[in-house]
Amino acid sequence: MAVEATITAPTERRRELWRQIVKSRWAYIFISPFFILFLIFQFGPILFSIYLSVVNWKGLGAMEFVGLKNFTYLFGAGGAAFRKSVLNGFILFFMYVPIMTFLAIVLAVILNSKKIRGIKTYRTLIFAPYVTSMIAAGFTFRLLLEQKGGLFNIALEALGLPGIPWLESLWGARVSLCLLVVWGWLGYNMVIMLAGLQTIPRELAEAALIDGASPVQAFFRITIPLLRPVILFSVILSTMGSFGLFNELMALFYATRGSGPMRATLTPVVHIYQVAFDNFRYGRASATAYVYFALIFVLAFLQNRYFGRED
Amino acid sequence: MKRLTALLITVAVLAGLVAACAPTPEVVEKVVKETVVVEKEVEVEVTKVVAGTPETVVVTATPVPPPPETEKPTGHIVVWGWNSAMRDTIEASGVLADFQAEYPDIEVEIVYYAPADVYTNLPLALTAGEGAPDVCLVENSHLAEYVHLGGLLDLTDRVQPYLDKMNDYKWYDCEKDGKYYCLPWDSGPVVMYYRRDVFEAAGLPTDPDEVSATIATWGDYLEACRTIKEKTGAYCFAHNKANNFGRLYEMVLWQQGLGYYDPDTGEVTADSAENIETLEMLGQFWEEDLVSDALEWQDPWYAELGTVNLEDQPIATLLEASWMDVFLKSWIAPGTAGKWGVAYMPVVEEGGVRASNDGGSVFVIPEQTKNPDAAWAFVEFCLGRDQSQLKLFAISGFIPSLETTYDDALFLGGDSFFAGQNTRKIYADVVAEIPRAGVYGPDYNMMNGAVMVGIQRYAAGEVTADEALKEAAAEIRANLE
Repeated sequence: MAVEATITAPTERRRELWRQIVKSRWAYIFISPFFILFLIFQFGPILFSIYLSVVNWKGLGAMEFVGLKNFTYLFGAGGAAFRKSVLNGFILFFMYVPIMTFLAIVLAVILNSKKIRGIKTYRTLIFAPYVTSMIAAGFTFRLLLEQKGGLFNIALEALGLPGIPWLESLWGARVSLCLLVVWGWLGYNMVIMLAGLQTIPRELAEAALIDGASPVQAFFRITIPLLRPVILFSVILSTMGSFGLFNELMALFYATRGSGPMRATLTPVVHIYQVAFDNFRYGRASATAYVYFALIFVLAFLQNRYFGRED
Repeated sequence: MKRLTALLITVAVLAGLVAACAPTPEVVEKVVKETVVVEKEVEVEVTKVVAGTPETVVVTATPVPPPPETEKPTGHIVVWGWNSAMRDTIEASGVLADFQAEYPDIEVEIVYYAPADVYTNLPLALTAGEGAPDVCLVENSHLAEYVHLGGLLDLTDRVQPYLDKMNDYKWYDCEKDGKYYCLPWDSGPVVMYYRRDVFEAAGLPTDPDEVSATIATWGDYLEACRTIKEKTGAYCFAHNKANNFGRLYEMVLWQQGLGYYDPDTGEVTADSAENIETLEMLGQFWEEDLVSDALEWQDPWYAELGTVNLEDQPIATLLEASWMDVFLKSWIAPGTAGKWGVAYMPVVEEGGVRASNDGGSVFVIPEQTKNPDAAWAFVEFCLGRDQSQLKLFAISGFIPSLETTYDDALFLGGDSFFAGQNTRKIYADVVAEIPRAGVYGPDYNMMNGAVMVGIQRYAAGEVTADEALKEAAAEIRANLE
């Protein structure tokens, strides 16, 4: 009897599961395109690139098994570009994420208030850059930032200030990139914050104001703490974003294939792209992609762990 | 969970970027037909617009032998190439129309891609095993990469008649293990373009022969640049620091038969003593503030090349290949007609050649083509015939790699854009002298990428030329392992 029971129980459970699936078949059919495409175009390649990471392959011809060499190579002279790109990811993160996040929160709070007229127009205007092609925006920024004849420097010179080598120096290039990224992504982050703000009951801040708190105090003591999970979400996305900048770089630093002056703006994703598609080293690119994944995973984990705790 | 999904998606996208595709199809065995073509003595009138004034060039070509009664290929072919070569040259010169007159049953579909788009799409199509065109235009800088990647049709038998007729150096990137994969179009003989008005104002000679004699070495060049800066305030040439991508440096390496690697042994030479000296020599111009910081192929560069008036300090010289000729005339500096001259580039060491190469293009045929005969008919018609090549040259200034064209009358006439100077003869002279060098090659992108960072860091004063190139060479060697 006991034996029979252990056999029938899972069978029954399976049958029950199957019945559930059949019952909601339409729902499954309707969501299936995503999963089918995901399996073919994303999950398949993820598995394939595990294999690629231990071989040398140009994209055609024989694959040569090399073991972990594609990984160890990242820590030698050949990994200089990758190490630089990781460093750049951190530098860029600290350069623009705090500013952008802060501006996004402030804008969201302003646009969340009911006292401003034409609020929808402002929201649209701030969100508009996000739906603009980053390539078009990048080329426009390049024209604006040109050292000679760019509008930014013409304006500076009109004010009697010296022109800045925006795209022509190590830090100029990074600042230029951050300008473009903040311009392009502020609206997106603002919308996330706005959505978060709308889940916070208005009464909390109002109560604080009645109790004598200043609006600034209410903002820092009430709004920000309640918004914390949303801020964390936005910051994690921005972390991945700053390591993964690509379109922005291809438009701004076309001549150096995205690297920027002295690799000032080379990001891991641009580097991986160059190794795979410019240099035809798919094995190394795949290995690098996995190391990069591990890095981003750890960063997101740490951010979640230390900033995501509910007090 | 949401975060995890977001993470997973990023990784997925990233891995998707890297992962590649299906294996290649079997090589299609091609049938080689001996195509010999008949044509009477031909005289073609080509109307060329030179800085607004139409100028008629008469192209006379030697009669071509008659074709035997073989069946002509038919069908549809797709050709990838960029505007300046396809629309403005192959189509505008009438060569495409000539081809269709002779092969009425081949339908040619030209797809216009910028070079960068070709270099994104062609390797993907080659590795994916489908989606490649029947004929593709490729610059020599990228040619060897694709030859070594695979997926191009072996043209060894078909190019046999042309091996001795084309510039020798053009075959190096085209060949792998004794097999040939391209037919060369044009070469990139480097000359020194100079502004006669600036030279005159600086008290330098303006006659091309005298300029070539006066500025014979890079030492002379440095002197001349100092004089120009002192007398007119103008910069000598453009050499960007921060975003330098090594083009001029490569030209000077090539001139000396140097490069990033030794083409015979494959040994990396990016940090050889000669390379370091070459970079330091170019660095001298930065140090003395003799060169402008305009980046090639961007607006400020076009602006300084197109500057008409002497008071606005036009750039005094430009070291570039002969294909620059047509770009200057047509869209970069049409207003400067009559102000330019062409001299030989200076040598690094006395006794060296006054010739180098930059760029140049070829046609390749991907293995995937369903119609190799029609594809080859097109390639051979455009690039293998004197008559076609001369028409292309007359309208574009892309000097044929086909040496049998060099005796044509086209190489004798003057050019009003260059104050009546006969520039084509100089291009042909330079082409003959271009040495073999290890600049372009199967890993050109990777080597150039590492070295350009070195040049930029040296230009910024972060490192010495020696350190810059040693680091770059170490990176290249590690990448090649």
